[in-house]
Amino acid sequence: MTESPAAGRDTAAREPQASGPLLPVATPARTRAAVARLLRPQRTLAVTAFAVMTAATAVGLLVQPLLGRIVDLAAERGPSDAITLTAALLVAVAVAQGVTTGLGLSLISRLGETTLARLRERFVERALQLPLDRVEKAGAGDLTARVTADVSLIAEAVRNALPELARSLLTIVLTFGALALLDWRFLLAALIAVPVQALTARWYVRRAVPLYAEQRVAGSAQQQQLLDTIGGSSTLRAFRLEREHTRRVTERSRSVVGLTMRGVRLVLGFYGRLHIAEYLGLAAVLVTGYWLVRQGTASIGTATAAALYFHSLFTPVNAALVLLDDAQSAHASLVRLVGVTDGPAPGNAKGPRVAGGSDVTVRGVGHAYRPGHPVLHDIDLTIRQGERVALVGASGAGKTTLARLIAGIQPPTTGAVLVGGAPPTELGPVAAGGTVALVTQETHVFTGPLAEDLRLARPDATDEELRAALDRVDALVWAEELPDGLATVVGDGGHRLDGARTQALALARLILADPPLVILDEATAEAGSAGARALEKAVARAVDGRTALVVAHRLSQAAAADRIVVMEAGRIVESGTHDELRAAQGPYAALWEAWSDTRDTDS
Amino acid sequence: MGKPELRGRDVLRSVVRGRRRSVALGVLLGACHQGGEAIVPVLIGLAVDQGVVEGDAAGLMLWLGVLAVVYVGLSFGFRYGALAGERASVTAAHLLRVALVERVLAPEGGAEDGRLPGELANIATEDAKRVGAVTMALIVGAGAAVGLVVGAVFLLRMSVGLGLLVLLGTPLLLWLGHLLSKPLERRSETEQECAAHASGVAADLVAGLRVLKGIGAEPAATARYRGISRDSLSATLRAARAEAWQNGVVTLLTGAFIALVALVGGRLAARGDIGIGELVSCVALALFLIGPLSEFSWVNAELAQGRASAARIAAVLGARPAVSTVPPRTPDAAARPLAAEGRLRLRDLSYGPLDAVDIDIEAGETVGVVAANPADASALLHCLGRRTDPDRGSVELDGRALTTLDLAQARGVILVAEHDADLFEGTLLDNVAAAAPAGGQGPVTPAAAMAASGTDEVARSLPDGTGTAVTARGRSLSGGQRQRVALARALAADAPVLVLHEPSTAVDAVTEMRMAAGIKELRRGRTTVLVTNSPALLAVTDRVVLLRNGRVAAAGDHGHLVGTHADYRTAVFA
Repeated sequence: MTESPAAGRDTAAREPQASGPLLPVATPARTRAAVARLLRPQRTLAVTAFAVMTAATAVGLLVQPLLGRIVDLAAERGPSDAITLTAALLVAVAVAQGVTTGLGLSLISRLGETTLARLRERFVERALQLPLDRVEKAGAGDLTARVTADVSLIAEAVRNALPELARSLLTIVLTFGALALLDWRFLLAALIAVPVQALTARWYVRRAVPLYAEQRVAGSAQQQQLLDTIGGSSTLRAFRLEREHTRRVTERSRSVVGLTMRGVRLVLGFYGRLHIAEYLGLAAVLVTGYWLVRQGTASIGTATAAALYFHSLFTPVNAALVLLDDAQSAHASLVRLVGVTDGPAPGNAKGPRVAGGSDVTVRGVGHAYRPGHPVLHDIDLTIRQGERVALVGASGAGKTTLARLIAGIQPPTTGAVLVGGAPPTELGPVAAGGTVALVTQETHVFTGPLAEDLRLARPDATDEELRAALDRVDALVWAEELPDGLATVVGDGGHRLDGARTQALALARLILADPPLVILDEATAEAGSAGARALEKAVARAVDGRTALVVAHRLSQAAAADRIVVMEAGRIVESGTHDELRAAQGPYAALWEAWSDTRDTDS
Repeated sequence: MGKPELRGRDVLRSVVRGRRRSVALGVLLGACHQGGEAIVPVLIGLAVDQGVVEGDAAGLMLWLGVLAVVYVGLSFGFRYGALAGERASVTAAHLLRVALVERVLAPEGGAEDGRLPGELANIATEDAKRVGAVTMALIVGAGAAVGLVVGAVFLLRMSVGLGLLVLLGTPLLLWLGHLLSKPLERRSETEQECAAHASGVAADLVAGLRVLKGIGAEPAATARYRGISRDSLSATLRAARAEAWQNGVVTLLTGAFIALVALVGGRLAARGDIGIGELVSCVALALFLIGPLSEFSWVNAELAQGRASAARIAAVLGARPAVSTVPPRTPDAAARPLAAEGRLRLRDLSYGPLDAVDIDIEAGETVGVVAANPADASALLHCLGRRTDPDRGSVELDGRALTTLDLAQARGVILVAEHDADLFEGTLLDNVAAAAPAGGQGPVTPAAAMAASGTDEVARSLPDGTGTAVTARGRSLSGGQRQRVALARALAADAPVLVLHEPSTAVDAVTEMRMAAGIKELRRGRTTVLVTNSPALLAVTDRVVLLRNGRVAAAGDHGHLVGTHADYRTAVFA
């Protein structure tokens, strides 16, 4: 549904997917601080969760000594009652461990999930407040990737990795403690494995991080190619480009296969090294047990318990090391989210300024998206309150850029733009009492019921107000004919609306938002010629009673305006009413002739 | 391909058969790994018995040595078994992906009907991956079975009673765990949907960021997202709590089971029925066997997913073609271009809204088709481009019905450039020259096509001119720029018959005039059909045809019809 990223015809000099400066990424210190801030309101929960999980793990570690005790009793041919009693203790331990584990895990996931929800809400809030030119410079894909891929990666980590990692780490630490309690020499023996494990982990992470980054890039390139090829299949068939595109997909897919296999080899090498560590530790613990039993300082049961402790470390150690990976990628995503949530608040500290009216003054404005490539030169323009001005000119004349500057999407490179006496970049959003609304050729239907889409423009609008707004733009008839009327789910995955209806919806939102100043940039461009005529009427009604600047390529729209401003190559070359400009025999008259020659001359 | 009744089972079978060498190798090595893992607890017991209990250093060293050998073996088996399995899995997925794309792009079409591009891309990535993963699941399943058998043999050799306790108790334990998690699975599905919904809404709001900002709806959008996020959170918390408690119960059951094994084993050892080392082995084996047994439920889940994915893939691969095809007369017939004069004859053509349309277009003529209803134009384009078979009647090219020609050959002669055509990744020039014959060295050069369509102006306004990269299916260009590049590509293809559909809706009046002149100039002597309502383009045609209510309502000179035909005027002008 989304149309050309606002690059627009005048500003397409920039590539929206360009490798421009991406949105900010937080430093590790700032990320820690941000996470601490998010956790602060749940301090009690965090402490309780940690304590319960520790208790669960500690209780679990009683299992091995109790098993060791059974071995001792059996070796001494002790009384069977004692064995039964010990087994009963084991059951009690199991019950305690089960209960504390259930409680601890649910506390941990509550902590993680609540924090995650707060993070994503804050992210969406800040993302929507980001200045548009900032988002455009970074490429729209960056923000979308953060809000989808990064959020779900972190969610995945919070859901699966976090509880498991907490459990594994606690088990490892406490097991080492328990080994030390049995005999400090068991601990020393077990620690033989640690350097190997630590080196392995470092070896792995060093290779895995860049490799996984490469994999993600290749994966999204493949996805993009598939979407391009499949989405464009009818064009490809018409031009008989099927073979070329099959080749492109094959190539992308092959590079994904290659990288996946490299990843697999890496992981397998990682496990191979861990096997060495396991063996070394296990052998050391067994030898220590043998030696201590010979010395008489430990019983067979104690030696058994130590061996079992070490054997039971395999799973949590492997789990923790594997989860390092998830933790690593979750962290990479987290810094990207915090980079946005932690950025400086938009606007100035005093809050948005209020415009003193809806008149527009443009004085000596020049603008360049890239230094040295100016697209506007020395523009002077005044729009009186309530005046309707049409902006006309060939493609590339600078119309969209001028419209963006007046809408306050970015400040001009030189000169000044004032709306009601204030720079439009400092005015608040329309819904918060702001002044300027901008409707561009880029359209979007928000997924959800049609009524909810409209209420984004005015959250407290009644159904009657929604209907009235739709009626003003001649959209009420089709809207009510939708399967569920205004409750019909529209947008991606719902009922799809065509270009003309989407534009009508945008105009209905505009009426609901009710701004004093409206800027319309080719809002009829994508509707096709028949639809454009109907939309022209809708536009006229939507801007009725407002100050308006309409960028038009259909000159019939321009002819109906109070005043027409003609632009050429970044400059204003003419300004006046339709009749004045036709009489002047200048550029507008020439445009009009070309336009009306092909159309009904007496329109 | 294109076979009716292709079933998911067939896809799965061919995948496994295609990778049988890797699968066999993986099964063999996986068995070594799991068998080795099952021996480790036994060896720990022997080391305890011979070394610690007996105090025999040589015995201890012997068993530690055996343990080392087993470790090397299991590590090797794991490493190369998993490698073989993963290779089989990703290779199978890759081949499926390519096969899917080939089917989607096949000239006869039909695979994308009723499926969104995102859905198909998902089938080509996720479903292909899952079906590929079936090979890995088979290897893991076989390995786990071997581990189980080895463990069982050792247990039963030590003590039949204790062995049976472990062998029967472990599946019971897993079954109880499964029973507990079943209602949870069902619930977690709806909760996952809820979470996915929240993420979808966020992406949707960000996608519409410019629209939101345009009308100042950021606060309303933020508030809406917060509501959805909170709903999603409470659903997720319910699921997480249930899962945590399930985890707790499984921990409890496992602990109680180990206590039971220890109790029985301890009593047997105290009576001297089994050795101390055997007791240790039993307890360690009981703990180990939970592993391979739970692998089975993983393998089961993988196979179920693989089956579902294979069914989706089979549905695409076996999709009904959108149009009838004729078998090529000779194997390389499709590759050879068809010599054509470019005479078009529509005879009694009926499809959708079209009702017995007759139009004759001579070779080299430029004819405008004006449709009062866009649906008529769309139906006509579908018939000309062979995207559909007509319900009745025919389209004839130089006297031969299009349906009797090879699809690719027919499209090589009649190029239908639709209004919503996509651009593709590559430079601007790559896009224009994509379909140019003889690599752009033909009579119509890409440069000439760019000049005729006004693309030269587009190139001048871009940073790298004709070398500028086009991304995101041309969405990196504005609507008007995209349209001009698409026209240039259609002109550069220099097809004997070119059908252009509304090529100028997003450009300004001056550019449109240039386009009209350019099309006229470049298509001189070649058959050209302009399906448009634009007077600027219609003005350069030799004659025009008006379609109304699916029939030819008028035909003649554009200027003449403007003056005389009221319906024509309404269709063409405001």
